[in-house]
Amino acid sequence: MVAARSGDARALRSVYEGYRDRVWNLVAYSVPDHHQAQDVLQTVFLKVFRGLKEFRMKSSLATWIYRIAYNECQEYHRRHRTPHVPLEAILGTENEKDARPHAEDQRRRQEQQLIVQRALMQLSLKLRVVIVLKYVEGLSYQEISRVLGCAPGTVASRLNRGLAELEERLRPFRGIL
Amino acid sequence: MTCWRFRLRRMFVAYLEGQVAPSEARRVEDHLLDCASCRALLLQLRAAHQMAKGLRDFPPASGPPGFDPLLACVETPPVASQWLRLWWETSLDRLATPRVVEVLALVIIVQLGLLAFSNRSVLLGAGHTFTVKPASLNLSEFRRLSISDLKTNTQPHVSTDGYVREVHADHEEGTVQFKLVQDPQDSGPFVVCEIIGDQTPIPRAGSHVRVYGVARYDGQTDRQWYEVNPVLSIIPTNR
Repeated sequence: MVAARSGDARALRSVYEGYRDRVWNLVAYSVPDHHQAQDVLQTVFLKVFRGLKEFRMKSSLATWIYRIAYNECQEYHRRHRTPHVPLEAILGTENEKDARPHAEDQRRRQEQQLIVQRALMQLSLKLRVVIVLKYVEGLSYQEISRVLGCAPGTVASRLNRGLAELEERLRPFRGIL
Repeated sequence: MTCWRFRLRRMFVAYLEGQVAPSEARRVEDHLLDCASCRALLLQLRAAHQMAKGLRDFPPASGPPGFDPLLACVETPPVASQWLRLWWETSLDRLATPRVVEVLALVIIVQLGLLAFSNRSVLLGAGHTFTVKPASLNLSEFRRLSISDLKTNTQPHVSTDGYVREVHADHEEGTVQFKLVQDPQDSGPFVVCEIIGDQTPIPRAGSHVRVYGVARYDGQTDRQWYEVNPVLSIIPTNR
């Protein structure tokens, strides 16, 4: 940490490699375009490296980095309002889908998860981020509340709303999920 | 009718994960027996919860970039747009001195005070009538009861009259609690009322009101207090 604060490239690399996958999950689910997601990730870590000197260890480093990432994703959304595309327009309805049996279970599961991921991308950023932090990152309500700067009760409410909306969007695909 | 027991509903995901205390789980289950709306929500959450659990096994298709491009940004001067952004953010840091923050905080407090005064004093002032209720709320569906009748009531939606006492606001939770008593001098049965959120105005201590909300029946008949939580609407009555 001391070396990273003084700008040592090797220490910065270890901070980056230690946290990039976790931050990437949050960024990739928040920014649909891959290249723009990479830019956002880069900005997040530039801010992390710049802010390390002032980081006072009051919260955990992971929570602090997540918070910077969440703010950056929010900033991205403010600048790029993405048009809403109905999920059915992307995937087709259940009736239109390929009814042939899948060769491998793994591949089928991957396809199912792709449907879930795309449905998740349709939710508002506020609801989506709570689901990603809980189910992808495995954070507790308390930790999520610290990242988002809201009460744990608000996290629980957003989780309820997010899951309910996710279920509604996936209802047409219930037969294949 | 949508169930208004927000606190209980917030526990649903934790309940699905088996992460609530046995007493809380029983509360959830007791409520589910009586509430079709919550049963439907729980089924919906369970389906989505199962699907969301799989997200961890399949991360987004494309991975994050390596460190080297970033290192170039750290070691070389940022491009013009980044310079501009960094300058703007640094300027903000410089402007945010304790004195400036103090003045801003004072302005915000005065503004909030004026806002609260303009909304609430009109709503709560003597002689004024106020009725704030969600658009979908039909007050005629609420069963009207006296405070002592709440002892045996099992209906969820009730209305009851009384004097307001001991108003407490919990700013962290965003709730307001107060007692409703039949007679201001009386030490008889009372109702603990809770307002959640800012849709319902806060009644003035000492005023006589009719409260509409969700009664919590727990089958305990050996005590003299009951609960209406949340309060959905409050109407002043002339006494």
